[in-house]
Amino acid sequence: MTVTLRVAAEVHNLAAIRRFIQETGAALDASASAIDDLVLAVDESATNIIKHGYGGQLGDIEIEIWREAEAVVVRLRDQAPPFDPTRVPDPDVTLPLDRRPVGGLGVFLTRCLVDAITHRLTSQGGNELTLTKKANAHSVISQETPHEHDQ
Amino acid sequence: MNMTSEQTQARVPVTILRLSGDVDGSNYRAVIDQAQALYRQGTRDLLIDLGGVAYTSSAGLVALHNVALLFNALEPPDPEQGWRAIRAVADAGEGGPQPHVKLLNPQPRVAGVLEQTGLASFFQIYNDQAAALASF
Repeated sequence: MTVTLRVAAEVHNLAAIRRFIQETGAALDASASAIDDLVLAVDESATNIIKHGYGGQLGDIEIEIWREAEAVVVRLRDQAPPFDPTRVPDPDVTLPLDRRPVGGLGVFLTRCLVDAITHRLTSQGGNELTLTKKANAHSVISQETPHEHDQ
Repeated sequence: MNMTSEQTQARVPVTILRLSGDVDGSNYRAVIDQAQALYRQGTRDLLIDLGGVAYTSSAGLVALHNVALLFNALEPPDPEQGWRAIRAVADAGEGGPQPHVKLLNPQPRVAGVLEQTGLASFFQIYNDQAAALASF
């Protein structure tokens, strides 16, 4: 089963995109943790498409989601100028903040959140970004209650 | 997302900015705008209550950093610049928690995103409002 959402590339549609991933991810029997990570990864990817891809120009984002064996796959397509987020340098988060290379926060988070990310240009010249996440994965985001700041 | 603010008197006057709802690329600038308005009105110490925020994308993190810069009397960078904005904060604060903007009650998922991006170390984070206010 592949489910598709097509929306205008506008930030006010981000909530609808998150809801779509949440609901279809559950229907595809993904774990709550995997869905949470996919929701954030897709939000970050869509935000990049809207803000940096189309950059205020009119356009659409098409999002497909399906189950593939033990994984959930989400594919985002747009007609914005070519941009391959897999080529953005990965920051070394073990370095102090002031030594980290400049790169996209959203791209960094997306890489952390999914198991695989691929990009290709479509025959129409648009972008096709594919995110793959194990359907029963534990979240890479800590779910622990934060500790009180030391006094 | 909704925001409310209230003034309190600790050792210094502190404004509590309470956020609720999801913070994302559609509304994070409203957080910056609200903080700028409070700053213009004289607020210099800010406690941001995240207890009602179940979700934030990186846009919300950039907003928090932008607000922290403002309240530390530094020039906020363009919030669209992601890590570049965060580097500017780190450069100014030498990487330690800054004293004028603190966080209250982040939900585990939000706190996890702060940790994942390494930004938690830039904020003092409290689970108790009285303790947070006493820290200013």
